[in-house]
Amino acid sequence: MLEDYLHILIFLVVAFLIGLAPRVMGSLLGPRRPGLEKDSPYECGFEAFENARMKFDVRYYLVAILFIIFDLEIAFLFPWAVVLEELGLGGLIAMVVFLGILVVGFIYEWRKGALEWE
Amino acid sequence: MGFEKFLFYVFAAIAVFAAGMVVTRRNPVHAVLYLVLAFVSSAALWLLIEAEFLGIVLVLVYVGAVMVLFLFVVMMLDIEVAALRAQFIRHLPLGLVIAAVMIINMVLVVGPWNFGLDSFAKPVPQPEGYSNTTVLGLDLFRTYLYQFEIAAVVLLVAIVAAIRLTLRRRANTKHQEPSEQVRVRKGPERIRLVAMRAEAVPASVPRIGSGPGADPNDAKEQGE
Amino acid sequence: MIALSDYLMLGELLFAIALAGIFLNRKNLILLLMCIELMLLAVNMNFVAFSHFLGDGAGQIFVFFILTVAAAEAAIGLAILVVLFRNRGTINVEDLDMLKG
Repeated sequence: MLEDYLHILIFLVVAFLIGLAPRVMGSLLGPRRPGLEKDSPYECGFEAFENARMKFDVRYYLVAILFIIFDLEIAFLFPWAVVLEELGLGGLIAMVVFLGILVVGFIYEWRKGALEWE
Repeated sequence: MGFEKFLFYVFAAIAVFAAGMVVTRRNPVHAVLYLVLAFVSSAALWLLIEAEFLGIVLVLVYVGAVMVLFLFVVMMLDIEVAALRAQFIRHLPLGLVIAAVMIINMVLVVGPWNFGLDSFAKPVPQPEGYSNTTVLGLDLFRTYLYQFEIAAVVLLVAIVAAIRLTLRRRANTKHQEPSEQVRVRKGPERIRLVAMRAEAVPASVPRIGSGPGADPNDAKEQGE
Repeated sequence: MIALSDYLMLGELLFAIALAGIFLNRKNLILLLMCIELMLLAVNMNFVAFSHFLGDGAGQIFVFFILTVAAAEAAIGLAILVVLFRNRGTINVEDLDMLKG
């Protein structure tokens, strides 16, 4: 069982090395001659007024929350789909109830206009 | 020391390092990214003890959704970090003392002498064709059915609360409503005909342009 | 061979770090929430380890539900945080000393 994950492990190690290699090479091979002129801000010479980070709109956040909820729903659907044949009708009804409860939430967000992008 | 043990130590070291970085980073964005690292290495650790489904769910749901949500909020709120860090050093000794006391305390309880290999032997590896997801699904939908439906209610509460708290209509946004636009009937709703007299142009004013549209006398309302 | 105590001690170490983090970052609400997530991870680690070593699937089911509740908690907690920031312009815990929102 565990041997099946060896590929993923090798993949992770290779990915890590590929990420690391350019940085190491850059720091080893690149010439570095820092100077006062070179390090100072280039454009217009202003000191930075404020943080360069831009504020996100709150609606992205709402979409992200709704994504979490339905992501979890999918996570519940996976084991259900695997064992559905053994569960039979009872399993189907259970999932219909589950989805029905979530659809109530979905209708709520639709009616409230949480999905609209003004 | 087997390869599995080696992997355990590698991933455990990554997880502990990442957790340490989470609580000490100055920049909250870095803290979130280190938390992602801690979750990913924990998922690898769960794979090592055959909790495959949960490992994948941890990556999909936690790293893929919850941490992204944290990242959104960190980016969304423009927080001045310096004020929040003012008393960092002051609380450092207290935090370290409590953490140390807790670690000593818990190691005495859960250390190898109580929960080592001789008291809890390593279970035999699952045979070929064993599916962690199947076992978990059967258990979930037979024994824990009621709890499963309660989980739906918890998610419903989360949806409603999130919308109720954060959704706010802006008064002065301009936007199109395509459904309204499509529904407009041809005829009186689409264009309004206004009868008005043509303006007379004094002869002294030079004409601009020469096309028929430029002639003010021609610029009558063209109905449908 | 990996022993049960290894996993338990790892979980406990993560929990202690998260606890120390709550003491260190006690003014920053976002970091407090992140420390709580870390604590939940430590607890889940213990559940999964026990589930494996005792051969009982109930531990993994429990972790699944903890993940569900934690996601809902994160969603609502962050929603409260956003509203708080909108109304007060701060997420410093010490500034939140009025009952009236």
